[in-house]
Amino acid sequence: MLCLSCPFAKLSMALTQVSSNKCAGGYQKVYEHESVELQCKMKFAVYLPPKAETDKCPVFYWLSGLTCTEQNFITKAGAQQAAADNGIIIVAPDTSPRGCGIEGEDESWDFGTGAGFYVDATEEPWKNNYRMYSYVTEELPKLINSNFAADPDRMSISGHSMGGHGALVCTLRNPGRYKTVSAFAPICNPIGCPWGQKAFAGYLGADKSTWEAYDATVLAASYDGPKLDILIDQGGDDQFLSSSQLLPDHLIAACSAKKIPVVFRRQPGYDHSYFFIYSFMSDHIKHHAKYLNA
Amino acid sequence: MWSYVGHIEWTSYRFRPAGSPPLGMDPLGSRGVLGVIEECFSAEEQEEADEGITVTRNQLQEKVVEMENFAGHLEEIFLTVEENFGRQEQHLEQHYNEVLQTLSQRYDQRAARLDLDKKSRLEVLYGQLLGCGRTMDSSKELIEAAQGVYRSQDRRLFLKAVMPTIQRIEEFAKEEMDLTLSTALEINTTEDDLSDVKTMMDSISVVPAPSAPVINPQMANSATQTSLRVRWNLFSDDTVEFYELFYRPVLEDLPADNTHGTDVCKVKVKETHCRVTDLLPNAQYELWVMATNTTGISPASEKALYMTVPSPPAIKERGCSSCPEAALIRWDSGNNNPVDSYTVEITEMDTHGAQCGAAEAIVAVPSCQCLIQLQQDRRYMVTVRAVNIGGPSEKSHPLGVSTTGTLFHLLEDTAHPCLSISEDGFTMFYGDEELPLSALAFDDNNFARCVAVLGDLLPVRGQHYWEVAVDDYTEFRVGVAYEDTNRNAYLGATNTSWCMRHILTPTRHKYEFLHDGWSPDLRITVNPMRIGVALDYDGGTLSFYNVELEQHLYTFHCCFQSYVHPCFALDNPGGLTVHNGVEAPGYTRN
Repeated sequence: MLCLSCPFAKLSMALTQVSSNKCAGGYQKVYEHESVELQCKMKFAVYLPPKAETDKCPVFYWLSGLTCTEQNFITKAGAQQAAADNGIIIVAPDTSPRGCGIEGEDESWDFGTGAGFYVDATEEPWKNNYRMYSYVTEELPKLINSNFAADPDRMSISGHSMGGHGALVCTLRNPGRYKTVSAFAPICNPIGCPWGQKAFAGYLGADKSTWEAYDATVLAASYDGPKLDILIDQGGDDQFLSSSQLLPDHLIAACSAKKIPVVFRRQPGYDHSYFFIYSFMSDHIKHHAKYLNA
Repeated sequence: MWSYVGHIEWTSYRFRPAGSPPLGMDPLGSRGVLGVIEECFSAEEQEEADEGITVTRNQLQEKVVEMENFAGHLEEIFLTVEENFGRQEQHLEQHYNEVLQTLSQRYDQRAARLDLDKKSRLEVLYGQLLGCGRTMDSSKELIEAAQGVYRSQDRRLFLKAVMPTIQRIEEFAKEEMDLTLSTALEINTTEDDLSDVKTMMDSISVVPAPSAPVINPQMANSATQTSLRVRWNLFSDDTVEFYELFYRPVLEDLPADNTHGTDVCKVKVKETHCRVTDLLPNAQYELWVMATNTTGISPASEKALYMTVPSPPAIKERGCSSCPEAALIRWDSGNNNPVDSYTVEITEMDTHGAQCGAAEAIVAVPSCQCLIQLQQDRRYMVTVRAVNIGGPSEKSHPLGVSTTGTLFHLLEDTAHPCLSISEDGFTMFYGDEELPLSALAFDDNNFARCVAVLGDLLPVRGQHYWEVAVDDYTEFRVGVAYEDTNRNAYLGATNTSWCMRHILTPTRHKYEFLHDGWSPDLRITVNPMRIGVALDYDGGTLSFYNVELEQHLYTFHCCFQSYVHPCFALDNPGGLTVHNGVEAPGYTRN
């Protein structure tokens, strides 16, 4: 819980700029701060469009996938031009707490460091630090809103793979908070795939009913909130699609049954990489801009 | 000090003009007013005298002007009389010349006849003379022969010859002499018919028949659909009792100078103008006029060609389409024969249906359609007139045009025979029943395999938007196509059409976005019931939306080589309805 009157609160609101590069007429910056939720230093990237110099802009949150940091998106996705054109701030956090010294955190690439799965862990030794859900939905927005020219009422969320899972879960669990959501090759049904099963077992324990709160397919089946408009792009040659890690059909079925509007595009020849993300990023920014700038 | 002498009355003084006769001798009575004032007056009197002089001077100046006018008028009269007499002289000279000419002609004719007569008689007499001569010669010869015989010594020869000779003499003596003249000696003089000369002489003093009037060319805006206003002039002083105006329609298939082919109608009027009624619209008439007085009828004037105004055109409502910045209006000519051009009149209307702003007109439209530039989101009233040299027709019935959204009608002659279209023209059905083969009439223009129909062409650059209402059970194709898209192919199967396609499989609904037979692999979780189609010629895009959810479905990026038609097809029995004239929602615009 963040206590604004406490001196630590002010300290935790303090940001240190790590880097700043002019990009597409605006600035791509990286900041570091002491995270209260994650109990460690965290970096995040912020792209400020030219419009942010004069007006409050809406914010697009990007959640990256397994093994990524705040760097992958800002160097590979090519989103800055579209963000500049549409006057949107892009915030890209890291994918997990870092350097917490938890045993086993660096053992696998799909669990622990770089694999936070955007949950609030309930199991030891993860539960003190691995609170990416709260970080993304609570701490980070407050930080952004107080330190940048951000419009607190207009935000949207997107992500890739594990980040796609995170974006969908954050949206479905917080009806009305995000103006829209989109995803690239998301993990649609973690309960049903090896990645999800490994991560949830580790972070949430053996009781599978606790996993459902972090599964987009399950959440969609009981969603009751404002009308959504979900755009999903999936590479046709994505090895993780074929290895049943992503399971988009399950999500589509759940959304069809619940009449949640989804446009799911299968892009032949594309894989799971940032080359794929780069290719369709402008479509997604356009999709977000429609709702953020409405 | 000057003493006041009293009010001066001008009339009591006589003004004698220097060197002019006394007033009484001047017939016009306006002379002799100016003159030298003999008496001397005081200063005041002098002033009044000056005033009086000024007034009188003005009066006199007026009189001078009057006189000048009178003189001018006299001059006119003088000239007119001179002219008239001149004309009379000319007329007289002409007349007498005619008489003289006629007499001279007659003389020549008679003299020639006389000459001919003389020649023929002389010939005959000469012939007779020759005959007599010959007879005399033969008689002489005979006598000589007889004498010869008589003198001959030879008795034998004499006996031989004497009898035939005597016979010949006897025969000769028996011949009767025709001593009558073969021709009469008298000259027969036939009475010359000089009655026409007499008439000519008599008619010199009679009022001549009028000269030919001059018919005016058609005045602008004087004709209506069924009447013509004709004017003419008589450029002479001839007296005229009445005029007769003749007219007949000029028909294409008859030669222009065929005066007995068609009915010539006649109107009798006293004035030099006339309104001829009961005519056909958009028709050419030939008119001429003759003046009549007691003496006779003038020659006919030159023939003038007049034209009645055309019948008004009829706007084809189903043939018109509109979009935010323009409208395409099509109409039927309303006339069997061609007209010169059409005029399209546009008036802006306000929200209550009243006119606002001045009417604008587009003139010289050569064919029965016109693309008008308009402003977005307004209402207009459009009328059309047909124009020929007679002038413009009455206005057609108006058509209301709205520039909100894009409005088009279906081109029913492109529809597959199995597709039936509702009366209002915006709903189409693919019926369940099998149509008999005879009902399946195919021509070059309609779709033969795909049960499809085209909408009217969208011939204006920029953005267009329309919506299509469908249901869950209908397999449809909606999109756009070039005009020449293959009528034997399915929409979306060729590179000349783009469409969104709904397919029903046993397990689920499938949506394709087809062009050139290819579609992206797309899954849609909520089936659209109302599809928004947004065409952007400049951006080269065709986008589809779920209107109820305001959800974007797919966008084709294409480079349109020419204007396209909206297109619609049904792949299984069912129906769909086109909703157009709808403003493009904000989320469909870039």
